[in-house]
Amino acid sequence: MSNHYNMPHLPTAKSPRVTIEVDGQNVEVPGDTNLLEALKAVGIETPHVCYHPYLPVSGNCRQCLVETEGPRGKALIISCFTPVKEGMKISTPRSSERVKNARAAVSEFMLLNHPLDCPICDKAGECTLQENYVEAGKDTSRLFPEVGKNYHGNPDHQFYDTKGQLRGGKRVDIGPRIFLDEERCVQCDRCVRFMRDVAGDEQLQLALRADKTYITTFPGRKLDHEYDLCVTDVCPTGAMTAKYFRFQQRVWMLSRTATISMDDSLGANIWLEHNNGYIWRVMPRCNPEVNRTWISNTSRLAFQQFAKDRLPVGSLDALKKALAAEGKIAFVLGGSATNEDAAALKTLVNKLGARAEVFVGTFAPVGTPDGISKSGDPVANRAGFALFGFTATAEDLAKRASEFKTLVSLSADLWGSDASKAKALEVIPNRISISAKNDATAKKSSTVYGVNHWSEVSGSMVNVNSILQKLNAAPTSPDAELAPLFSVLFALAGEEVTSAAIAFKKAGEFAPKLAKLSFDAIHSTGELLDGDAAV
Amino acid sequence: MQDSMKVCTGNFGKHAQSIEAYKKLGGYSTISKSLFEMSQFEVIDRVQRAGLRGRGGAGFPTGMKWSFVPRNTGKPVYIVVNADEGEGGTYKDHFLLLEDPHRLIEGLIIAGWALGARTAYIYARGEFLPCIESVNKALNEAYAAGYLGENIMGTKFSFDIFVHRGAGAYICGEETALINSLEGQKGQPRLKPPFPAVAGAWASPTCVNNVETIMSLPWIFSHPVEEYTKMGTPRAHGTKVFCVSGDVKRPGLYEAPLGTPLMEMLTSEEYCQGIIGNLKGVIPGGSSCPPLLPEECENATLDYECMASLKTMFGSGAIIVFNDTHNAVDILDVLGHFYSHESCGQCTPCREGTGFAKRVLDSILRGEGHDGDIELLQGISAGFGGTTICPLSISLGGPLNVYTRKYRADFEEYIAKNPNHAEPRLRPTVRLGAYW
Repeated sequence: MSNHYNMPHLPTAKSPRVTIEVDGQNVEVPGDTNLLEALKAVGIETPHVCYHPYLPVSGNCRQCLVETEGPRGKALIISCFTPVKEGMKISTPRSSERVKNARAAVSEFMLLNHPLDCPICDKAGECTLQENYVEAGKDTSRLFPEVGKNYHGNPDHQFYDTKGQLRGGKRVDIGPRIFLDEERCVQCDRCVRFMRDVAGDEQLQLALRADKTYITTFPGRKLDHEYDLCVTDVCPTGAMTAKYFRFQQRVWMLSRTATISMDDSLGANIWLEHNNGYIWRVMPRCNPEVNRTWISNTSRLAFQQFAKDRLPVGSLDALKKALAAEGKIAFVLGGSATNEDAAALKTLVNKLGARAEVFVGTFAPVGTPDGISKSGDPVANRAGFALFGFTATAEDLAKRASEFKTLVSLSADLWGSDASKAKALEVIPNRISISAKNDATAKKSSTVYGVNHWSEVSGSMVNVNSILQKLNAAPTSPDAELAPLFSVLFALAGEEVTSAAIAFKKAGEFAPKLAKLSFDAIHSTGELLDGDAAV
Repeated sequence: MQDSMKVCTGNFGKHAQSIEAYKKLGGYSTISKSLFEMSQFEVIDRVQRAGLRGRGGAGFPTGMKWSFVPRNTGKPVYIVVNADEGEGGTYKDHFLLLEDPHRLIEGLIIAGWALGARTAYIYARGEFLPCIESVNKALNEAYAAGYLGENIMGTKFSFDIFVHRGAGAYICGEETALINSLEGQKGQPRLKPPFPAVAGAWASPTCVNNVETIMSLPWIFSHPVEEYTKMGTPRAHGTKVFCVSGDVKRPGLYEAPLGTPLMEMLTSEEYCQGIIGNLKGVIPGGSSCPPLLPEECENATLDYECMASLKTMFGSGAIIVFNDTHNAVDILDVLGHFYSHESCGQCTPCREGTGFAKRVLDSILRGEGHDGDIELLQGISAGFGGTTICPLSISLGGPLNVYTRKYRADFEEYIAKNPNHAEPRLRPTVRLGAYW
């Protein structure tokens, strides 16, 4: 609620360095940021609840207190809102009993009216309150039965449980994708700020005041937004839970793989969280230059289709035979193909000579950037394809369809994107689909061959802002026989390449911008390609 | 005290609500050419020389506060009058607005000239309907008489005053919460900096002053500065309006010079005329101030420094007297209920802690207290210290700590009513039933 214009300044590599005194020791920290981030930069973690690096500072949880020495003596301040200044003297709990007690007191107050139902809470294991309690909490409870709890909740949803205790609303359906548990809410205000300042559509608000405060939508409205599942990420407790993930997995059972969401050319950085060979959820992965910590619902929920309608591995000989047919061949490279796939295609096209041409993308319309985590272009790797000289689009192919005798769709669902536009391609007699999915295009093809989905391959892509980003393979392939697209294409060209690192090296031969890098050296947050290579 | 020396309440009981009556009593004499011939800095300098301190509770020098307001920012300067009087025991603004609204308008014109402001808001508590009516009537008269509006007294100075009705939240007396409320947002204090003097209402420089502060200005500008500084103590000049309530023979609103002995206020014929029963304690400045024991009252004087030295606050001048028929647990429970109800719900310690303290006090009152509850209350109080955006948590934290120390016997007596008070408490068992 308070000043919603104060976005935190985050330190960068270029931040000026200042010296401050922390617990009696001089340390050098980034100078253009807040104390919490500065301390984090030198390895001192400060527990916090309401602070989020990509949300305006609201300063209401009071968990990140540190002690500072000023002209009027020592005072407790919140480190998330205090800018770093040269020569500041800071005490953390390591040297100050007062800070330790204050943080313990805040931790106690935070948990006072919070239901301690961690064993059945979906957030358990990744809950900020749990982490803070371990770090800064008290070990004994001072809340006695005679005193009782005062659960937060909408008066309309409150109810008496079997022990006669008034409880807040559980499992409140506040939107099509989210359940709200009112009594678990600690009124940190993060979801309100996310909807207001990031999503730009204020749909949540804290109602009433004092210990009757509860989170709610506006009367008669639901929480419904393309980014609404991000509130489950920013929620430090189990108050906001996603319906699709509710009671599916304990979070500590999940392993995660860092990769890129290949449904948009911004290339949102994501974690694929999987267990037992299944992806259970997709979480945003922080990348300050790309999607910060946000991903759209479309990117987040796309995983539900990854393992469905898969093509089985086909016969390589049948593919070779189909490609050997007379006439010109049109290759259509789908937007989710990696640079390695493009390099393999380039190798194959060079081998086939002048009778092969490459087109990229499908007939899916190109939208506009939403300023959060989507550029609107469904051809995720368009900039990467341009490095290999692949710029002609599926629309171009549709105009010249009659020239070709063979159509090879590579993970490109032409008929699925726009069947009416794809009708022009039906004049091409010989149609091949090499794809992960048994989609509309595969059904229109005479020869099909199954490959790995992008979530199951390692590789690289170049996003719309010329940032080279790395995909890692999640071990969720439904069939061990499936291979990545690039190795199938290399096999068609008569080469055996199964590792993305080698394929990336080959990509460097065609795209000089990539030659300077090695696959393993690509940073998890990407590498900015210099110059005008990628448009 | 003579009426002529009363800075704020001189017109009380003289039907000064109408502009004719007010002018007959010497009103609007300061709104003249001589005021507008003074530069803004001379006006501020005069207030600084008079040593006027904010009457809302903190006692910050008004002239200094005004000098913090930046000039030439390209944004308008707003003056906001804080008439959101909600502190327990305080009722001075209510009567000041009701009895003498024109003095407020006169003071605001002086303040507006000093700050170069075009617009002033009177943020009145929502329940003050008669006062709002009285002020609105006075505003209409002042507009008609040419004291407000465009080009006042033929000068280039134009000034407008608007009355804004609050929705009745105690916390909106905190200046940044007041500004939020004025802007139409939820009344919750803002993080500082920026301070309101730099970026307040609509991110413009804003000066928030108490009603009594503004109403002191006409007197200061119509009398020599020395006459004002003569009153009061060397560090706090002038007079203060005290609202005395509780166990005294004649409770009411009294204006007295700062530094008046507390016992004189309570016992003299001019003021309260004596205490009923045996004095048990005095809350010197409104419900958030820790109380004074009778022996502390003996030498206490009513000014900021003396009260600070006694580890309490001068506050808004609301003196609440209670005798030994009252129990400290009851008083503290009332405070617990009030502050837990009025917490804005922003900071964790205040939002959850004030309710926690209230529930502990309730359990003691129900006869379910245990040994150790006093320490628990003091522990809760310690958790409030300096950990929140605004001082509301300390408004309960201070009394929690001091009442349990000074009137420990009362608490022990109540706790002893529980036959099992010395037995170890049952630890709450975490056993959650099926509740969905």
